[in-house]
Amino acid sequence: MSGVLYSVALQWKLDIRSKSLFVTCYVVPLIFFLLMGGIFTSVMPDMRSTLIQSMIVMCVSMGAFIGLPPSLIETYGSDIKKVYKANGVPVYSGLVTMFLSAFIHLMIACSVIALLAFVLFEAVLPAQLPTFFFALAIYLIVSLSIGSILGLIIKNQAKLTMIAQLVFLPSIMLSGIMFPIDLLPDFLEMAGRVFPAFWGYRLMLNSGFCLENLWYLILVFFAAVIICGILLKKQKLE
Amino acid sequence: MNCAIQVRGLRKSYGSHMVLKGLDFQIEKGEVFSLLGVNGAGKTTALECIEGLRNYDSGAIIVNGKIGIQLQSSSLPAHIKPMEAVGLFAKWNRAKIDRSMLHTLGIEEIEKKQYIQLSTGQKRRLHLALALISNPDIIFLDEPTAGLDALGRVSLHEQIRKFKSQGKTIVLASHDMAEVEALCDRIAILSHGTIVFCGTATELTDKVGKKYVIHIKTQQGDGTFETDNIEDTLISLLGELKQKEIHVSDIKVDRGTLEQHFMEMTGREAE
Repeated sequence: MSGVLYSVALQWKLDIRSKSLFVTCYVVPLIFFLLMGGIFTSVMPDMRSTLIQSMIVMCVSMGAFIGLPPSLIETYGSDIKKVYKANGVPVYSGLVTMFLSAFIHLMIACSVIALLAFVLFEAVLPAQLPTFFFALAIYLIVSLSIGSILGLIIKNQAKLTMIAQLVFLPSIMLSGIMFPIDLLPDFLEMAGRVFPAFWGYRLMLNSGFCLENLWYLILVFFAAVIICGILLKKQKLE
Repeated sequence: MNCAIQVRGLRKSYGSHMVLKGLDFQIEKGEVFSLLGVNGAGKTTALECIEGLRNYDSGAIIVNGKIGIQLQSSSLPAHIKPMEAVGLFAKWNRAKIDRSMLHTLGIEEIEKKQYIQLSTGQKRRLHLALALISNPDIIFLDEPTAGLDALGRVSLHEQIRKFKSQGKTIVLASHDMAEVEALCDRIAILSHGTIVFCGTATELTDKVGKKYVIHIKTQQGDGTFETDNIEDTLISLLGELKQKEIHVSDIKVDRGTLEQHFMEMTGREAE
């Protein structure tokens, strides 16, 4: 157990040092939040009721799809994975460590966004904070599980930059955080439902924590676990 | 049991290409052993199978003892610091950190640097320290002196001799034949997926034909002669020179280096 805690704490420090996860979990989402928070609440004061949830979707999507995969590629796309085998450590340890570290980073960033939104832009705080954070944790886990697939399946950073955008941009544009989804054509509205951001956003809204918004996220999570398991098994056999 | 590693009928293919075609050899406890081969001979695959880093198709590998593997210089995260890596490996192996070993290898001097900022030599030293964390009985060293300066090489050679004196078994992968000749008790030569020789350097010399190289310096120029019969050739050469009244200023006899014998052995196999 102390080995796992040491690994997660070390990974947490490495994520900050490597800057890629630090920038995508903290710097860019916070700058985006400060700019968009100011604009949204000035132009559309009603946005104050959903500002926290929408900015969190942006932060989680960026951290999970653009921040986590490079760390996984650094390990599983190189000789670093041999370190696990050489020390008799299961090959999935790296994934678990990086997943937990990214989860903590994003949880901190989302909490900072929620607090600053309330203080700076008079955003409405969620009515039930424990339920809100539970919904956030579920949404985070599902998003990171998709980020894990990207990191395990893509072998180099250049390809990742392109492919991660194909998940990140629709998550932001089609989830309803930028503008009401009713304004979109039907096919784009349907496409938006494919991405966990659509469901995660609804799950975090007041009175949104229900099976209707939850089932798809659970399904995606289990599918992602199976895919990651297969990809890791393949790594082990290599 | 006096055997540290036993390999029997080891086979490994990548798709339709068979890299290892049934290797058989054993490594005794406390010896320094090297597996040699030209690039593509299957040496890395064989070692990785023995180390447990790679699966193999058939055969058997028996390893008697705890192993420590010095991995290549690209196998740690770019931003990890040496002492963090040491701490992580110690946790994984449930081992106590041996400060004196870290001091000997100079790890404390580089503890504030990140892995990406280390020189090649410093990375090699760190990987060696990590391989030794669990106090292994068998140590796998992969090109341990590549990229090291002369002082670093001498220091590492001393370290390897010290391991041997402690009764540890060392498996060395190196392209530096002089290093292998100086350190190893026995060598195995791998060519096209099979072991073409396994024994001591002297046995290899005997096998390839006891070739001698005679270097003669005279007032009229230098000459080099290769022969399997040193006695007759020297008598005949010196007799001829005396007859022609040519003064010999220096004479040197080499018995051929391991590198020459290795080239001959792998060259023969290629033919």
